[in-house]
Amino acid sequence: MELQLPGIGEWVAAFLTLAIFSFLYKDNKIYRAVESIFAGISFGYYIGLAKMNTLEPNLFMPLFSNFSEHWSLIIPFALGVMLYFRYIPKLAWISNWSLAIFIGYYIGVNLMQRLHGEILPQAKGTMLPLAGEPVGQIIGNLVVIVGVVTVLIYFYFSSPHKGPLKPISRIGIYFLMISFGASFGYTVMGRISLLIGRLSELVNMWARPIIGSIFG
Amino acid sequence: MTLAQKLLLVDRRIIFLLVFLGALIPIIKPIGLGVTVSPPVESIYNYIEELEAGDVVMLSFDYGPSDGPELDPMANSILRHCAKKGVKIIGLSLFPLGGKDMAIARFSQLDADLGTQNGIDYANLGYKDGGQAAMKLMGESMVTVFPADVDGTPLPEIPLMRDINNYNDIDLAISLATSVLGEWWINLVNAQFGVDVAVGSTAVSAPKYYAYLEAQQAIGVMGGMKGASEYEELVERGYPDVAGLSRTATMGMDVQSIVHLVIIFFILFGNFIFLLTKREGGAK
Repeated sequence: MELQLPGIGEWVAAFLTLAIFSFLYKDNKIYRAVESIFAGISFGYYIGLAKMNTLEPNLFMPLFSNFSEHWSLIIPFALGVMLYFRYIPKLAWISNWSLAIFIGYYIGVNLMQRLHGEILPQAKGTMLPLAGEPVGQIIGNLVVIVGVVTVLIYFYFSSPHKGPLKPISRIGIYFLMISFGASFGYTVMGRISLLIGRLSELVNMWARPIIGSIFG
Repeated sequence: MTLAQKLLLVDRRIIFLLVFLGALIPIIKPIGLGVTVSPPVESIYNYIEELEAGDVVMLSFDYGPSDGPELDPMANSILRHCAKKGVKIIGLSLFPLGGKDMAIARFSQLDADLGTQNGIDYANLGYKDGGQAAMKLMGESMVTVFPADVDGTPLPEIPLMRDINNYNDIDLAISLATSVLGEWWINLVNAQFGVDVAVGSTAVSAPKYYAYLEAQQAIGVMGGMKGASEYEELVERGYPDVAGLSRTATMGMDVQSIVHLVIIFFILFGNFIFLLTKREGGAK
């Protein structure tokens, strides 16, 4: 019978996975070495990706192929290069010009994006009818409205939470607790999913072929 | 030291071992627990179901290998659904660490499963840096952001892309997202360009997307492996001929159920022992 052992890629993946898992037992040198390998590979991959997928097709190729049409690309290219002047102490001030433009751009983009895409639609989504709908819908709408109002009052710090504000902010805390509980539940599910991913690969792509090869 | 106090000091590695076994056993021997479909996932399925052959869905692979167990099954199911409907797919990625490769792997899987053709049934545009800037510019011109696809073929030479200029030519945008990218698809692409958006997110990010769903800023949400298993179920119900294809999220939900039981047991156990030690302390 022909042996179908895992390929070298599967062996490497299995070793790296088990090395990372070894931290659960105890911190060790192999774990730290593999962690560093992961960080290094990720960084190298990112640099290669930026060069191949962004800098070459969107900057270098247009500049070199048709300079007269794309000469304006020199401006963002120069701004990018100017950022690296931070590493030359005497010329570090030059990078501030790039940073100022980037910060200004992103504040402008984000301000409108948050206002137009989040604050207004989310506020509109809270203005729900409390009559003329099925009972279940009205109860649901009431929960949303009470939740939003009480949580907002909980985060109102301009006056002490005394008198009527105290019980209202207390209800806000309960809403927050329920929200944190839901987030925690989802977080547990997310982390278990990662475990499933690694274990599935270990079992199906590495362990099963080995066992199959040995025991037929 | 009482028994209760000793139990409180149980080595955490025992808990790790039990969670490990709880995960390992259903992977070796799947249980096959049922899947219940929720409305936020069903609405995405129904939306695609109502599209006609030739309509275009944009699928953004905004995740990397570490989120694959949750988001790969969503990608597989959506791609299969679109392919079976004859809906064209434009794949792209705005996530740097592996998004492009996740897209390549999923489209290769689709070719192997259903015999689709690159450039005709789908186009894979690859990765672009810039996040919001890229999203905004795609509203004006796709070819400016992606001059060529992932293989270097210029966009005008790809049959599927000849009539695609910007978001006006897209019927639905779906972001399979980790980090903040899914939010940007909603609060930028949906809000500013009016494109219908659905999000498949990692479980960790899922709760925040329900606020967008409630405010009708998203047409649907798939949260984590559970959401993925629901979409797998819907596609298999609607298209029984894909039944033989892999359903990794559904298999993963077996593991989730067992491990969650282990975790719930230890939460109850820890609280019970804590109350017991408190009572013993009070009795002294």
